[in-house]
Amino acid sequence: MNSRERLLTALDHREPDRVPSDLGSTQVTGIHVLAYQSLRRHIGLPPVEPRMCDSIQQLALPDEDLIERFGVDVRGLFPLNSHNWHVVNAGVGDAWEYTDEWGITHRRLKPDGLYYSIVRSPLDGAALTLDDIRTHGWPNTGDPRRIAGLHEQATEYRAQGKAVMIKGVLAGILEMAQRVRGTENCLADMAANEVLACAILDKMLELKLAFWEMALPRLAAVIDVVSEADDYGTQTSQLISPRMFRRLLKPRLKILFDRIRQLAPRARLFFHSCGNVRPLLPDFIELGVDILNPVHIRASGMEPAVLKRDFGKDIAFWGGGVDTQEVLPFGTPQQVKDDVKRNVEALAPGGGFVFSTVHNIQADVPPQNIIAMWEAVQKLGGYATA
Amino acid sequence: MTDLRELLTAIVEGNAVRVKELVQVALDEHVPPEDLVSRWMIPAMTEVGARFERQEYFVPEMLVSARAMQAGLALLKPLLAQRAVRPVATVVIGTVRGDLHDVGKNLVAMMLEGAGFQVVDLGVDVPAARFVQAVHEHQAEILGVSSLLTTTMPQMETVIRALAEAGLRERVKVLVGGAPVTDRFAAGIGADGYGESATAAVRVARSVLGLPEGP
Repeated sequence: MNSRERLLTALDHREPDRVPSDLGSTQVTGIHVLAYQSLRRHIGLPPVEPRMCDSIQQLALPDEDLIERFGVDVRGLFPLNSHNWHVVNAGVGDAWEYTDEWGITHRRLKPDGLYYSIVRSPLDGAALTLDDIRTHGWPNTGDPRRIAGLHEQATEYRAQGKAVMIKGVLAGILEMAQRVRGTENCLADMAANEVLACAILDKMLELKLAFWEMALPRLAAVIDVVSEADDYGTQTSQLISPRMFRRLLKPRLKILFDRIRQLAPRARLFFHSCGNVRPLLPDFIELGVDILNPVHIRASGMEPAVLKRDFGKDIAFWGGGVDTQEVLPFGTPQQVKDDVKRNVEALAPGGGFVFSTVHNIQADVPPQNIIAMWEAVQKLGGYATA
Repeated sequence: MTDLRELLTAIVEGNAVRVKELVQVALDEHVPPEDLVSRWMIPAMTEVGARFERQEYFVPEMLVSARAMQAGLALLKPLLAQRAVRPVATVVIGTVRGDLHDVGKNLVAMMLEGAGFQVVDLGVDVPAARFVQAVHEHQAEILGVSSLLTTTMPQMETVIRALAEAGLRERVKVLVGGAPVTDRFAAGIGADGYGESATAAVRVARSVLGLPEGP
């Protein structure tokens, strides 16, 4: 069984020979460049000039020598966007600043800032009008240069027996609306000025469709998974009410997902939504989401065994392998192994599970803990039937 | 006389325009500004907090109510200062050095202000020395420290140590919050309290000062 067969078997809710795994195939299952370099040093791999798949989050694209050693089954395609294309690190006082193709200004603190954070949103004015939204300089998401070389790359991965997944070029509809409008303004608009809020949400949907309508006709034949995202959960609850989600987001997601399925009928749909999204899972399933990520097991309502019991027949879990908020950065290697054991035992039976950390491995994660995690997956990830 | 129950309703419903109108009418009718705040506006935000805890309100609704409250308070603040009305307590708040997140911190600040606290917001990426200086300068009873990243959480302990070194630790209660923060972490670094949400923050702030649960 090669990697691609392993992944597809698991996504079909059947048990492959062992649990398939991911590291670095998306911008939400990746590894910070500092953790990546210290991991390479720790296991004695030669130094490399790391390639970045996301400069804003400072995520390294793991090299083949490392992911081969870890037996990672999937490879990611990273179309060009504001996180990996024309990113300029301009020194401004005590920070680096970068204004992207959306007009969003990001800031990373010197000397050791670990990420860029948004400090200015282009449409944050109190008196924003529908005309301002219409006439803003929006990026051309349908520009085919964004996927230059990806078909060849995907073909090569497939020839090696790997599964291939592709992400989009903008964050989720709600998340991207928050970035261009400012989080507080965007959320307040949704409660108090729905017409304005919807104009921005519609713009995000339009820009997503423009990308997928350009990319998928060219790539659908060589990819296995399409990933989309939008964060609706918080640590304890949801950012917006399930009712508001159903009124303002769900209809737009339906248009988006239906179109993706039409353009790539054989690809599985992966959807990333952080935090406690339990009340929304029936909606995701109804919308045709095949795979939930990140399975934020530390958030309220996201206990892995309960999720598996209640939704495991209808949705596959990609993530939830180890907690990244406490155990992975601060735990001992033994605590990491115990956490992996608990999560794999809950999520793996019957297939429908791809192992990855809950979220990106951050700069402060000791390499010993990453090794402990992979040893645990190797030991526990085998299926008896294989 | 205007029925001031309408002021409470306007805040709960997040109607900033109506709040400003009603506050102005009440002032014209010589209602004391401190009465407007304590009898109508703070109870309105208490109701907003209760709806948030019952999951009838989420962040958007809470934000809109808090903005309506602030629109009214903006008219009242100069008058309250003139009349030397004392706030419940003074809170200095900010996000730690190296961390640029502010949405959660801002919500906590708004809810504290809605509960009658005076809030001094230092913003994001605040070095420990600036927290210490602000606590001293404003004679704050509470310091609220936020961190959204596992990599910046250790800064919270740095702030607490800096307070101790400046001899201020016994004079101020330190509350911490942010997605990766837990009760256990808060206790481990010697903080006085932790709130898992903006409404919990208000509850904890009142409790560490020995105030009864509701205003």
